[in-house]
Amino acid sequence: MIILGKIIAVHSYKGGTGKTLLSVNLAATFVKHGKKVCLLDLDFRAPSLSTVLKIEKAEYWLNDYLNGTCEIDKVLIDLSGRIQNKGQLFVGLANPATEAMREMSAKDRKWEMRALGRLLALRNSLLNDKGFDYLIFDTSPGLQYSSINAIVSADLVIVATTFDRSDVDGTKRMLRELYDLFEKKTDIILNKVLHDVSSKSGKEEMQTKIKDIYQVPLLGIIPCFCEVLKGEGNIIFAQERPEHPFAKILDEIADKIDNNKT
Amino acid sequence: MVSKQEVLGKKPLHILEKIRENLEKLNEKMEVMIELQKHGRKDIQLLPETPLDVMTLLSMPDHLRKTAMAVCRLGRATAEETAQQTRRARAVESAYLNQLVIMGHLKKERKGRKAYFYVDRESQG
Repeated sequence: MIILGKIIAVHSYKGGTGKTLLSVNLAATFVKHGKKVCLLDLDFRAPSLSTVLKIEKAEYWLNDYLNGTCEIDKVLIDLSGRIQNKGQLFVGLANPATEAMREMSAKDRKWEMRALGRLLALRNSLLNDKGFDYLIFDTSPGLQYSSINAIVSADLVIVATTFDRSDVDGTKRMLRELYDLFEKKTDIILNKVLHDVSSKSGKEEMQTKIKDIYQVPLLGIIPCFCEVLKGEGNIIFAQERPEHPFAKILDEIADKIDNNKT
Repeated sequence: MVSKQEVLGKKPLHILEKIRENLEKLNEKMEVMIELQKHGRKDIQLLPETPLDVMTLLSMPDHLRKTAMAVCRLGRATAEETAQQTRRARAVESAYLNQLVIMGHLKKERKGRKAYFYVDRESQG
């Protein structure tokens, strides 16, 4: 049996839940585990991968691919040389120029329909033809066209959520009224947790609570680490601080996804 | 050399093929009518092409969304192929696919005896 790769969309109800941080570090973790990964920035309203990954200029952007003016090969930037292990990392960036953001927010339904077709085509062009193990879509929060296109194209939706009350309510609604309608496999990552989950009982108690609230599998609980906040998006923990507890949790999450254990 | 009997023998076969093709078309139309009645949507008229974008998918009834999503994934599919994805009966999928064609979301193209359904992403606008 041929095992094909998987498309993962990282989404959330609210902004600031840590989607980009999780996307980048999850991609880096898979690479650390020897996988061939492609990380795509589908947050066209607030692109951030170019900053996080310190890429000053790209010849082509994902905007161009979705506009149908270039193929995906032109967009992808090979960052494998930056990392010290056997995996491979490619990224596709959203154009952070204000004019590009404005243009993307003014697209009509027909354009969005074509964009969905081009995202769906990535399964063939990248997973099947180029042999990528994972495509990771970093998305905009909430009900944005680009995010829903990403969700529809994905095999797994990872919802990054916090204990903020409006985030909890909104995430519950999205589970019922968005991911369920598209029959998507959806897992939760609870991020920025302030409760003590260092003990086994504390962790189990939290797991039960989360499963009761959301009724979907829990992929991981990530405590609020001061070092991560202090890193200000400059450190990719999975690569640069592999012994850090944050990196260790991501190792577990990547293993769960890899083994379909959620 | 082809004998007179062989030439004549092909004619009834050709007629039978035509009858079968027409019966299949009739069957599809009946399936659509049955489905439309089942869901109380007798008012549906042939609509102009309507983009099958994600917001349209979201607002669709569940039974049609499942079919539309399968065609989106497959790109171009017969009722049989769609049924394999959705794990519903071929006849049911045929009715839903034709309903999506009537609603202007899908295009249908016949190739021989097979009918293919697809999202026309190129010509719409």
